[in-house]
Amino acid sequence: MIELKNITKTYELNKNDKVVALDNVNLTINEGELVVLKGASGSGKSTILSLIAALSKPTSGEVIVDNKKISKLPDNFASVYRRDNIGFIFQKYNLIPTLSVKENIILPLVPLNPPANEIVEKLDRVAKMFNISHKKDAIVRNLSGGEQQRVAIARANVNDPKILIADEPTANLDEKLSLNFIEILRELKALNKTIVIATHDPLFFDLDFVDREIQVHNGKIIL
Amino acid sequence: MILTPEVLAILILNAIFAFFGIIAFVLSVRIFLAWDLNSVSQSQYILEKQSFLTATIIKYIFVIKVPLFLFFIFTLDKISNVLTGAMCAAGVVDATVYGTYLFMLKILNIYIFAYWLVLHNEDIKHENQPYTKIKFGIFIVAFFLFISELILEGIMFSSIDIDKMVSCCGTLYSSSATSAISSIFAIDTDVLLYVFYGNFAFIILFYFLKQKYLFAISNLVFIISSIVSLIVFFGTYIYELPTHHCPFCFLQSDYYYVGYLIYALLFIGTFYGLVTGFVKNSKENIIKNYKISMLFNFLYVILLSLYPIVFYIKNGVWL
Amino acid sequence: MKNKINVYLIEYAINAILRQKSKSFFIVFVFTLLTFLLTSVFFITNSIRYELDSTVDTLPQIIVQKIKAGRHYDIDVDAVDNILEIAGVSDAVARVWGYYYFANAGVNFSVVGIEQYENQYKNSFDKIASKFDLSEIDSKVSMVVGHGVKETMHDSYYKEYFNFIKPDGTLKRVNIAGVFEADTQLESNDVIVMSKDTIREIFDIDESKATDIVVKVANPEEIPMVVSKIKLIYPDTRIISSEDLKVSYQNIFDYKSGIFLALFIISLFTFFIIIYDKSSGLSSEEKREIGILKAIGWRVDDVLKEKFYESFIISFFAYTLGVGFSFAYVYIFQAPILQNIFVGYSQLKTSFELPFIFDLQTLFLVFFLSVPIYIAATIIPSWKVATLEADEVIR
Repeated sequence: MIELKNITKTYELNKNDKVVALDNVNLTINEGELVVLKGASGSGKSTILSLIAALSKPTSGEVIVDNKKISKLPDNFASVYRRDNIGFIFQKYNLIPTLSVKENIILPLVPLNPPANEIVEKLDRVAKMFNISHKKDAIVRNLSGGEQQRVAIARANVNDPKILIADEPTANLDEKLSLNFIEILRELKALNKTIVIATHDPLFFDLDFVDREIQVHNGKIIL
Repeated sequence: MILTPEVLAILILNAIFAFFGIIAFVLSVRIFLAWDLNSVSQSQYILEKQSFLTATIIKYIFVIKVPLFLFFIFTLDKISNVLTGAMCAAGVVDATVYGTYLFMLKILNIYIFAYWLVLHNEDIKHENQPYTKIKFGIFIVAFFLFISELILEGIMFSSIDIDKMVSCCGTLYSSSATSAISSIFAIDTDVLLYVFYGNFAFIILFYFLKQKYLFAISNLVFIISSIVSLIVFFGTYIYELPTHHCPFCFLQSDYYYVGYLIYALLFIGTFYGLVTGFVKNSKENIIKNYKISMLFNFLYVILLSLYPIVFYIKNGVWL
Repeated sequence: MKNKINVYLIEYAINAILRQKSKSFFIVFVFTLLTFLLTSVFFITNSIRYELDSTVDTLPQIIVQKIKAGRHYDIDVDAVDNILEIAGVSDAVARVWGYYYFANAGVNFSVVGIEQYENQYKNSFDKIASKFDLSEIDSKVSMVVGHGVKETMHDSYYKEYFNFIKPDGTLKRVNIAGVFEADTQLESNDVIVMSKDTIREIFDIDESKATDIVVKVANPEEIPMVVSKIKLIYPDTRIISSEDLKVSYQNIFDYKSGIFLALFIISLFTFFIIIYDKSSGLSSEEKREIGILKAIGWRVDDVLKEKFYESFIISFFAYTLGVGFSFAYVYIFQAPILQNIFVGYSQLKTSFELPFIFDLQTLFLVFFLSVPIYIAATIIPSWKVATLEADEVIR
């Protein structure tokens, strides 16, 4: 499903100063698998996520998703790949606070300009799934933290992506909301989604439905 | 020198075009020389980003350029009030030696820019972006044409002499004149009409045969045969005057601005006709282009044919 | 091109504009002010030009003046007969008229002489000839004045008659026979009509002389030909055709609005820089937003399109607003302050309303001078935004 082959990623800070974020990483994630990437901040786990999402390109090596080499996609096609395959759950929800719940959720669909009934259909599906239907027209700014979290997850799922990527999803949540999130995660896993989570929150360790925990340290995977 | 607010507006926009055009040109050269989609180097990555800017600039110039072209004709019409002897844009175009070349260059450039955009749209549909080098190469050439257009326009406006008497379209477009334009009046009207309608018949024929190269070529010929027949024959029916042949006057309000419709139909029809032959395209797109081309060419022929027919019904005679 | 308009994207763009309240407000304010000023200037000049054009239209087609030592001089009345013989000339009349300076009120009157049996070269004079008995005006030494003129005289307590001061210092008393209806306001405030004999007496003009000769030509196309023929017979004359006047008016106004345009370009340039600067300075908030959009699958082209919608909506809105304000300012409130700049050419103390002229071309002109330039200023900043590294959102 997801394959990282000999990935090296360096960031050029300036001409003489390079930072190696990933160093010859090999990783395979199977379909329907839930993988937790553990490690301190700066260890390279976020870089792995951004490579899987084709948000950045490796310095060398290949990223292959569904037998498609995505590490060399032109920018526009990388976006299309994300739109169709990846659902993103960010650290701080990353919603647009002045828009309504509905407008936030359909954001990934906007550039496609689909017919109104398709939008309504997709919106209703995820709004129901994540229990936010009753707040569809509320402005996001006025919602509680838990509601905002559900909106963010609904947005990530609006295109019914095969892969979900979560970057420190509980970093800014209190314990109750974090546990909430884990329950939602359990449901998503049941839908046979491939899920990759980068976190250093101990709540995720030793969960019964996590397939694998991978330690990332200094740009290398420690098995 | 003539400096009406309209001319000044055109010159300001030209300056902006030139500024952005030069940026696009420099980037195009870079991309043309160093583009390598397989490379993962930082420089290729920057080029990819810059290709977006270049395409945006070219789109911008084209989108403004088309209405500005109409505004340009509008402006010429207005200047014709100031120039002694001129009745419409034709007189102004003729007022300097540059006018005719500028006009042709403008039309050519609109075709080229439109072609570029079609190519660009096709290019970004494919992951391997097969036309990137070609399209920026084309822009490098187009840039020089475009800049010469801008320069020529500046020269034309600065060399119009208000006090000089110019020709009115009545003398420019008449069989008695000696200019190059007037030589077309030597062609027999019947022959011309056979050519015009025959040409159109070929377009229909190749449309059904789906011969895309022949279709494109007959569209190319159609541009010429339509304009000539418009001047020599159809124009007189628009004006209902056997001696008035001007291809500009019907752009004025007296004729309900019908000229803009006529030229728009002709441009869209022939442009998509050319595209079928000159741009590689997916099958459904080709069929779509065929249809657009056919539809607009058809409307053009209908519209122009209606003028003499209505005239005949109303007056019972031909001009 | 082929896609239908993306309502959701427009909605998003409008939201984005509203989100940045102070920035958007600033842009709309400055932009509206600029288009408002520019449109107003064009509207005013168009209206004045229209008023002048219609004045010029009431003027004779050709005026023949004698020039001596570079100055306007009285012309021989005999010349009329010679001009009448030129083919194409349908009428020629010797005019006797002049400016009379009324020191008390500090104004100039145009004093014009007419005669009963000649063809009148002006509509309003035709009306006078049919309304008043010209022979009576002649015998009783009286005059017909415009409304404005009558009021001016009234203010100086001349109700029944008016005393003209002749060149030798003696007074010439002329009765006010009535008021005529003028075609334009300029005319009403300015013109006095009386018999030619009375004017000759007031200005001390010889019987055989006239101020100038006006010529009527049946076919307007033949005017240039007639002009050249008159020039041939009388090389010592200056010949003015109404066409010439129109062209020079047009030039004067194009020149005046050209100066404004030059000022406008400078402010536009400044504006361009400000916009460039404003749209380049991205807050971390905005960067984050673009990052999110790209992460959830917006293409660079989508972001560019959204940015284009934003700048088009905001600039077109401000343009419409500016044009709307200027409509109200010029045609409802009669353009206070600005009008004076353009009407300041005369000491006639004339006042007139700006007639409503709807000119599509002006709207296009202002459009081309504002919206595309604004959009141009946002091209590079938008591109920078759209190609930002998106992976920053997950770092």
